Amino acid sequence: MKKLRNVAAALLCSVLALTACSPGEKEADPGDANTNAREGVQELTYLYFTDGPDEQATRNLITKYEKEKGVKVKLEIVPYANLEQTLQARLAGGNAPDVARLSDLTNFREDLLDLNKFQKEALDGKFIDGFDKAAMGPDGQRLAVPSDLTINGVFVNADQFKKAGVPVPSEGKGWKSWQEMVDAANKVKAANKTEYGVAVDVSGHRFSTMLSQYGTTLIGGDGKTVAADPAKTQKMLSDLQKWNKDGTMPRDLVLQAGSKYKAANEIFLGEQVPVYVSGNWQVAALAKNAKFTWQAVPNPCEERCGGFPGGKLMAAFKKSKNPALAAEFIAWMNSADNQKQMDAEANFLPTRKDLVDADIPFAQRPEDMKVFLSEISKTPEDTYTSAYAPAFGNSAKAFVEAVASVLAGKDTPEGATTKLRTGVEKAIKDAG
Amino acid sequence: MLADTQPDIAEGARSMGSGAPARRRRPRLNRQKIAPYLFILPNMLVFAIFTIYPAINMFNMSLYDSRNGRTFRWVGFDNFTEIATDSEFLQVLTQTVVFTIGFVGFTVLFATLFALLLNDSFRGRTFFRAVIFLPSLLSAVVIGLLWGWMFERTNGLVNVALGSLGITGPGWLVQDHLAMGVVIFVGLWMHTGFYTLIMLAGLQGIDPNVHEAAKVDGATTWQRFTKITWPLLRPTTLVVLILSTISGFQAFDFIWTLTGGGPVGSTTLLVQYIYERGFSTPTRYGLAAAGGVVLFGFVFVLTAINFAYGRRKEAA
Repeated sequence: MKKLRNVAAALLCSVLALTACSPGEKEADPGDANTNAREGVQELTYLYFTDGPDEQATRNLITKYEKEKGVKVKLEIVPYANLEQTLQARLAGGNAPDVARLSDLTNFREDLLDLNKFQKEALDGKFIDGFDKAAMGPDGQRLAVPSDLTINGVFVNADQFKKAGVPVPSEGKGWKSWQEMVDAANKVKAANKTEYGVAVDVSGHRFSTMLSQYGTTLIGGDGKTVAADPAKTQKMLSDLQKWNKDGTMPRDLVLQAGSKYKAANEIFLGEQVPVYVSGNWQVAALAKNAKFTWQAVPNPCEERCGGFPGGKLMAAFKKSKNPALAAEFIAWMNSADNQKQMDAEANFLPTRKDLVDADIPFAQRPEDMKVFLSEISKTPEDTYTSAYAPAFGNSAKAFVEAVASVLAGKDTPEGATTKLRTGVEKAIKDAG
Repeated sequence: MLADTQPDIAEGARSMGSGAPARRRRPRLNRQKIAPYLFILPNMLVFAIFTIYPAINMFNMSLYDSRNGRTFRWVGFDNFTEIATDSEFLQVLTQTVVFTIGFVGFTVLFATLFALLLNDSFRGRTFFRAVIFLPSLLSAVVIGLLWGWMFERTNGLVNVALGSLGITGPGWLVQDHLAMGVVIFVGLWMHTGFYTLIMLAGLQGIDPNVHEAAKVDGATTWQRFTKITWPLLRPTTLVVLILSTISGFQAFDFIWTLTGGGPVGSTTLLVQYIYERGFSTPTRYGLAAAGGVVLFGFVFVLTAINFAYGRRKEAA
């Protein structure tokens, strides 16, 4: 016991000594940066995560930029799963990249460069309004540029639909409700003896597609209030509960335990589900891996139609060695011509307003990409505010928990809706 | 000891013989005394930098709030207040205690049982000792994945086997209580071999003459176990209790790959709670550190109780 007391005393002394020192670093002060891109270091580092074919498309654009501007760009690719940790560690170690591709700005807002100081004219008013709003700081600073848009949507196994004699929906002849989609999927399921009828990615973002179609979003139009209309949310949760209970959907997968599948795309690729709800980023992966005929089809409607947006942004850091050059690179990469080239080669959807209706020559599956493009115009405006609100990430987590607790029988749709609203409220409060 | 003192004596004699005034000299550092410390110094340095310092710094961090690990805001004991009022933390804590009780209880039981069986002489004893110990050598991540596949509801080996007997297998990893049972079972399967080895060493430390004498006096097998083996095995059992309790509170890796803490968080334990606050978005380093302090407190108190109990028994 004496030894233990000694250990405890030593530990206490160390803690007291350490508490005198605040951990971490002081807030960065950007100061007045040089606004001429041609002055200072003519080299940039670009921290990037890849979704597949976009890597080569990015390299092609970088080569073009290097030739045009005489600047060296070092592309540093990290896995998406490690992006946040890597970036935080690099910022802490004083080794920040000049530019990074990000999916969420929340934890980096204090570190990001105000691009308006350098490229206001080239960037202002050029991007889809809802998405662009997410890239702005509280005082009108431009913290990032929306670089590629994603839209959630539906894929079907056309071979299985054909075998079942069920028509594949198309533009103008889409499913009028989720029930209609489920009925069609179950007919195909029965004819092909698949395990399930419909599979949805287990993600608050994908569940938000369904919620939007049921007439509501998680976060309100101002990005700072709870939306999640109780009646509409309950209806959606009740329907999900019903379809997971009757075997239409893979309940074990949603509960994230005890499923042989790790993700919904595995079930679709394994031809064990004819209808798969995901998003346009799957097009390249399906084109590469699917051993059957598949196609993208319009989202089902309920109260509303359309998908749910997402996307990536390009941002520069205050600690960049040449902030003006970093801002110039971002503006150049997202100019109309260059974004069009990127979208065509990488199968990305455009974020620029002037490209939404442009005829982009997508390298892979252009017909399927057009389905997603047409979904952009049908997607309600409030989904953008919800999807790009700083609180969306945490709200989406609360959504997955709400769905899982209903499917596990731990909560009723009513109870889960109440908890979900509390979760979204907390997320908004945490996001400040 | 002789080697340590003799040079000093010789030094004293030389001083006296020379007639010079005797000076008190500091004993020279003995090479043999320093050598062990030098040998372990590199390891200790690495241990201090990468384990001791971060562990102590955790206490400091628990008093701050940080979303990015770089900028810290002093919040005093707010993180602890938040944890204490967080219903998820209380649920996780309850589950950790349930898991630890189940894991430690069964571990001691099975480790003792296997050690007793493997201590007897029989054909193939070495083979069975190896088989029992083998899971301890496997990667926890792999173990979690393997058992996850075996307990899968529709096509898992366990339910397929039950199905061949005409029994419809349950959703082992989909139902709360079953999932916790499976987690305890897998933890047990993974660690029992290691603790069996410790118990076996304890059993082999018991003088066989004591058993022989008891046999001669007509003691039954049960009497020999309760009156001789068990009391003499108590210090070893204490070691197993302490180690398995700590291991129970630290369980994470195999659960992460087996259930991911699900369904609906019903197998999420304390370390996963800390991990999720520290390493998944949104990151809350201060909150994660506060969770770490709570975990430290539990392990420290349990270890102290176990030690105190052990000492008292030894003294008695």
